[in-house]
Amino acid sequence: MTFMLALPLALVVRGAIAAHLRDSLMAVRAADGANWDWWQEFSAQATGLGTTFTPSVIGVATTFDSVSSVFDGRVPIAPLAWALALYLAGWLFVSGGIIDRYARQRPTRTYGFFAACGTFFFRFLRLGALVGVVYWGLFTYVHPWLFGQVYETLTRDLSVERTAFAWRVALYAAFGLLVLFVNVLTDYAKARIVIEDRRSAVGALAAAWRFIRHHPGRVVGLYGLNTLTFIALVGVWALIAPGTGGGVTLWIGFAMTQLFVVTRLLIKLQFLASETALFQAALAHASYTAAPEPLWPDSAAAEAIARTTM
Amino acid sequence: MSLRILLAVAVMSALVTANQSGPEPQTPPSTERPAPRLETAPPALQVTPLVATQTPAPPQAALPPGALSPRNANYSIEVRLDPEAKTLRGRERIQWRNISAQPTSELQFHLYWNAWRDAESTWMRERRLAGTTRRPQADAWSAIDLSTIRVRGESGTWHDLSAHTRFIAPDDGNPRDRTVLSVPLREPATPGASLDIEIAWTSKIPRPFARTGYVGDYFFIAQWFPKLGVLEDRDWNTHQFHSATEFFSDFGVYDVAITLPRRFIVGASGRQLSRTDNSDATTTHRFRGEDIHDFAWVASPDFIVITRRFEHPRLPPVTIRLLLLPEHASQADRYFGAVEATLSRYGEWFGPYPYEQITIVDPAFQSESDGMEYPTFVTGRASWLAPGDVQRPENTTAHEVGHQWWYGMVATNEFEHAWMDEGFNTYATARVIDESFRPNHVEVRYFGGFAPWAFKDLPVSRIDNDRLEGYRLNAETDAAWIPTFTYWPGTARFISYNKTALWMHTLEKQVGWPTMQRIMSTYFERWKFKHPKPADFFDVVREVTGRGYVWYFDEVYRSSNTFDYGIQDFTSVRQDSPSEGAGLTGFTYRTTVVMRRYGEATFPVDVVTRFENGDTVKESWDGQDRRVVYTYERPEKAVSVQVDPERRLLLDVDYTNNSRTLAPRTGEASLKWALKWMAWLQDAMLTYAFFS
Repeated sequence: MTFMLALPLALVVRGAIAAHLRDSLMAVRAADGANWDWWQEFSAQATGLGTTFTPSVIGVATTFDSVSSVFDGRVPIAPLAWALALYLAGWLFVSGGIIDRYARQRPTRTYGFFAACGTFFFRFLRLGALVGVVYWGLFTYVHPWLFGQVYETLTRDLSVERTAFAWRVALYAAFGLLVLFVNVLTDYAKARIVIEDRRSAVGALAAAWRFIRHHPGRVVGLYGLNTLTFIALVGVWALIAPGTGGGVTLWIGFAMTQLFVVTRLLIKLQFLASETALFQAALAHASYTAAPEPLWPDSAAAEAIARTTM
Repeated sequence: MSLRILLAVAVMSALVTANQSGPEPQTPPSTERPAPRLETAPPALQVTPLVATQTPAPPQAALPPGALSPRNANYSIEVRLDPEAKTLRGRERIQWRNISAQPTSELQFHLYWNAWRDAESTWMRERRLAGTTRRPQADAWSAIDLSTIRVRGESGTWHDLSAHTRFIAPDDGNPRDRTVLSVPLREPATPGASLDIEIAWTSKIPRPFARTGYVGDYFFIAQWFPKLGVLEDRDWNTHQFHSATEFFSDFGVYDVAITLPRRFIVGASGRQLSRTDNSDATTTHRFRGEDIHDFAWVASPDFIVITRRFEHPRLPPVTIRLLLLPEHASQADRYFGAVEATLSRYGEWFGPYPYEQITIVDPAFQSESDGMEYPTFVTGRASWLAPGDVQRPENTTAHEVGHQWWYGMVATNEFEHAWMDEGFNTYATARVIDESFRPNHVEVRYFGGFAPWAFKDLPVSRIDNDRLEGYRLNAETDAAWIPTFTYWPGTARFISYNKTALWMHTLEKQVGWPTMQRIMSTYFERWKFKHPKPADFFDVVREVTGRGYVWYFDEVYRSSNTFDYGIQDFTSVRQDSPSEGAGLTGFTYRTTVVMRRYGEATFPVDVVTRFENGDTVKESWDGQDRRVVYTYERPEKAVSVQVDPERRLLLDVDYTNNSRTLAPRTGEASLKWALKWMAWLQDAMLTYAFFS
């Protein structure tokens, strides 16, 4: 999905790069490696998406840049914001199917997957709208307050960069905790919507909060383990991320990059899977869980159960 | 908003024409056509400065015995810092001699700290024009107030003139500006006459403005004392404090006693003569600097002091005193490396550093005192996290140490001709960094600017250190010849630093480094401890090269035109009708190159066309016309064409259009970078979606 959404915009950027390079010899250096001379010229005249073509597109800097953007509250330019919004909408759509699949712990096949996606999409949209308001409040009011007023007050008389950085890290942690809390709450709200067939987003959020409140250690521990997996992935990627070579290495690099993207996605799925499993292990039981009806052809066991309950 | 901008433009325009004590009248642009490049081979490299004697040396005031400079403005200052109240209380005695050709009936003083007294000073107004709209916090403001001023002239009588002073605004008439004080004299000071001046004052230390102020226990004290302007033959040259320019003053001896609590470690211009503990838990640090034209100091209880000796077989030894903050303790060698490389290179290229000591300050975080020069005393730049292959700290330190030559000794008027020190020095620093500090990579800082990442695939070139990038977008903002304080405040640096460095480097490529080195060393030798003007440098260029390069300075100094040469069209088409150039194949290719001058500025350039068999054809184009067409009939098809292939013209704002190939790899390059950009966007999507 990221590929499909990013591709058209990448074509626009490609067009802008090609239009600036024209048939120049600068393109030769840009094809074989990095041509910083040309890059700066391109940046000087770039507009729109072209302004986002910075050194941060190289290697692991992509991740540093995106995470830093979130924590520093940078607002993406309009075309990127639209792409991100579409991706978030798409992600909300498939989330229902994904969690449903994890909750069942067996293949649901295409029909079952997309049926679940459709079933939960509008519930997730309502949930997304609620959570979006919370995020909007965090980034519009809390972030500027923390990193403007609070940070300036804390560091106003500081003459030691290290201490200022420590304060900033502390504020990142404080803000990050708020964001992660909303994130965890959202994840468990989604799980409860799917597993318990809830329709109310507010009710799901309240139920998620009750679950987190009653199992704080396990929730935090699981989240921490998953986060460590992500950090480990970024660490490995920093070591092996492809450079700026052309020719065959271009395609090898591209393949590696897509593998990294897929792995990042898998880690997000790991978050959802493990959180769903934790919820089911801790709270869900036969009489409590509104399990979806088994559908033919499902497993022989399901068929047998269906016969006995008729 | 738009009205404000219009008013600002009008004010700036008026400043250009109405400057009361402005620069000498400028000569109109010359119409001399570009000369061809030097035909003769450049002379061999001279590693010691040359003193050309083809033209008369400039007028030279009689120097006091043992002096390097006229020493006509000598300051003895006693100052006490109250770190809790953030105040200075000072007394100074100035021995001043009129070395101009005219008598004067007044004295003019800079009171720089009044620039931050309120929001209506010229400095603050210009800062707003430059786009800084944030108002300083209530306790950020500063002030300098004179309590007494007495003058003793040739008659030997002291006159208290405290009641007769008045603020003047010679540059813009701003009645709210209090950065220049006029003091009428009872007796005119005739040429050669000496005056004793005694002043007592108090100051409120600002939170950092323009590399001055305090943060925590770190005090950086610059432009802090009542300081005389420069009396020139026409009148006083005492400009108001402007946001985009620096300073100008006469040479002298500074004897400064700084008293402050004992816990502070102090660094200053000159060298320390004594350190005396007082009964009130304070210490008085006495410093003396000779043949300098400014004095700044710093105090902090946290400094680690490290001293090393610079030794060189052909240059005098120099004591390097580094005041290092503990968090940068691991970067001491980087500081020393930059200082030693600069002392060595500049010494070999231009002339020796003549002072016994140089003090380097590792500036405190948020002090805004990084990257600044004062005589024998400079500040560097260090970050807690600083990759070893990103030479930003070295670049800053080398640049500020380099200012000892271009500003410190060759003391140009930074109000009017900032390009003569900032530009020259940026050019020379880029040369030092290029020769001495590799690898040097592009760095991007993430997470609030704290976390650096060096891009190994993006090496920083000498042209990058000439600062081409900043110039490209601001090439036409101002012509260099107008007084610097009238440049548009937000873009002044791009003309003073970037453009000058680029045209100096271009001139070097034109005349060759050995000749360029002779130009610079001759200029340095002739004008050290003096106040040269632009014409003085141009005269040296003419003298050393044997050419005026008037056409060149017309373009780079007297105009704001941009340089941009490019290929408008390039074809190589098979001609089946045999012609004279046909080989065994029986056909030829007609290659047509259409060269274009897109910019207004002109410069002679080479045009090189390459053919399939490896042959090249080089044309020398004077670059005057808007376009020129070259046509070739050859058996080989052309492959590529390039204008200025050796990149001699570094001011060309678009080098991408300088070449064209018939076997382009644009598709490959654009695909590669678009794919990388796509991965960046995918990564961003995953990051944002993670929280959904």
